[in-house]
Amino acid sequence: MIDHARNAAEFLNDPERAHWHDRALWFVREKRDKAARSVPEWEELRKSAEALKAHTLEHLGYYLQRFEERAKANGIEVLWAEDAAEFRRLVAEILQQHDATKVVKSKSMLTEECELNPHLESQRIEVTDTDLGERIVQLAGDRPSHIVLPAIHMKKEDVARVFAEHLHTDPDNPDPHYLTRAAREHLRQKFLEADAAITGVNFALAEEGAFVVCTNEGNADLGTALPDLHIACMGLEKVIPSAKELGIFTRLLARSATGQAITTYTSHFRRPKPGGRLVVVLVDNGRSRLLAEEHKKLLSCIRCGACMNTCPVYRRSGGHSYGTVVPGPIGSALAGARDPERFASLPFACTLCGSCDQVCPVRIDLHRQLYSERREVVRVPEYRGKVRGLKTAAFLLRHPRLYAAMMGLGRVLLPRIPRRLLYNRFNLWGREREMPMPAEKSFNQIYRERKR
Amino acid sequence: MTSREKILTRLSGSMSTPETKPGLGFEPSDHPDLLESFVASLKAAGGEAILVEDPERLDERIRDTFLGTESLIDTRRDDTVDLETMKGCRLAVFEAAFGVAENGAVWIDPRERSPHALLTLAENLAIVLDRRTLVPTMHEAYARIDFDGISYALFLSGPSKTADIEQALVIGAHGAIGLKIFLL
Ligand code: SF4
Repeated sequence: MIDHARNAAEFLNDPERAHWHDRALWFVREKRDKAARSVPEWEELRKSAEALKAHTLEHLGYYLQRFEERAKANGIEVLWAEDAAEFRRLVAEILQQHDATKVVKSKSMLTEECELNPHLESQRIEVTDTDLGERIVQLAGDRPSHIVLPAIHMKKEDVARVFAEHLHTDPDNPDPHYLTRAAREHLRQKFLEADAAITGVNFALAEEGAFVVCTNEGNADLGTALPDLHIACMGLEKVIPSAKELGIFTRLLARSATGQAITTYTSHFRRPKPGGRLVVVLVDNGRSRLLAEEHKKLLSCIRCGACMNTCPVYRRSGGHSYGTVVPGPIGSALAGARDPERFASLPFACTLCGSCDQVCPVRIDLHRQLYSERREVVRVPEYRGKVRGLKTAAFLLRHPRLYAAMMGLGRVLLPRIPRRLLYNRFNLWGREREMPMPAEKSFNQIYRERKR
Repeated sequence: MTSREKILTRLSGSMSTPETKPGLGFEPSDHPDLLESFVASLKAAGGEAILVEDPERLDERIRDTFLGTESLIDTRRDDTVDLETMKGCRLAVFEAAFGVAENGAVWIDPRERSPHALLTLAENLAIVLDRRTLVPTMHEAYARIDFDGISYALFLSGPSKTADIEQALVIGAHGAIGLKIFLL
């Protein structure tokens, strides 16, 4: 089982860095607020987005088939993958058909989810992540800790160290401008050499048989511009009815993600380039099963990252503490719905403050989802102790006399037990907290005395 | 059964053809002064708007703005360009079909006229836009686009940028480092 609390404690070992992380993300949240407030119809937009996603999921089979039919008519090949393994195999096969050994990839959480890179590398295909944040973590041998800001857990000095080793930059110059320019030169070379491009998909348009990729850096555009082969990877839930709805989603996405009015590049792909090949791989990997459950709404997510930036737990525990590809509120909810045993601690990595629900552009009721998952996950053996404790408490609360007697005992004993004994390893509550010292008299006692 | 069939079987509950789909249900915000909003939004996106009052002098304005334009590619005139020329291109001129006031984005559909690589390979972009084409929001923008015939087209809002190192904004990630829009 992933132990979120333990991982978070590790993150908090470096309080200065943890504090920086917290503040950096809150800054992004504030930028989101400003951008949202600049649109008077913001709440209406969110409601429309929610309704549209619900509608699309209601007719997901229809829209996916429609997308396939229309995309094929445009000359796009459409492939379907049941799970991560099939997806990896399909992508590797296409690349091998083209003798592609150098691939540039723009950001796609799906390829992370399906662990595409290690598989391609095992087939001697070099994959270069071209999003700057992703390239940084790739060179560092690390993993993204945020879906929009993959390297948010690293300081510029860390980046300078990684780049010095791999790109031979000055290890003592952590200037973001200098480092970004170095990455630009380095990646420009990769773009020019690439045999194929892999991108994600932000929105697939059923009616037009086209799809949209959003970036700020232009890496998806440059990546797909030169090679003849472009493979676009999408989860089933990325389809929307038509381009008309893009008005809603493009207005919400960047404002929620970074506080920009729109991503710098909002690129539409509808046909392969002359003589080129354009393949879309539709990946299920558990999505269709989720559709049949009460957690269906999680499939509405447009991966803006706003719920992470606002989450008091995420900001203070770091993306890696979740042990998932997608961290934060949405990541916990997805993981808890998919594999409640393994990710049992994640629905508890939440204060139920509901801040995520308020910022989510498609109005997913994240904290409610997490709350309902708690009921499922408490069944894991690791939580037996907690469950027993709560059952005992429930029993006590149902028996007022026994409860009063226990409380009386507590009032006498608690102040007298030595600290060492009180904060023992069974005292889970006391691990991070001080036990409250009981008042001398109980409320009932005082009440009775006053009445007299 | 193929994977396609297996997935579609699992989705069999969602195969029905929708009769209606949810509409907008609100009026998009109004931008009383489209030009003013566009100029401000573009600035926020790291770009710059240049108002050209005399269309005759457009080319001159572009040349004056970007001093020393030896390696200029003007997609309004040169229709195909080879990779070597594009790699060294300091300034590329594109025409945009229309612009969006709320975010400073312009719609560019390079078609077969120019390779789409030029949009990202060129160090600077000069984009020519007719100010009468401005629309308030993305809703009106998408209502204008006819997807028939498009193979690759995009909304471009300012120069390429990143904030992946400590959230510090750096202009010029993979694409253009400078972007100016010449409004006729
Ligand atoms: S759940 Fe909502 S807020 Fe979180 S990433 Fe998805 S769309 Fe954004």
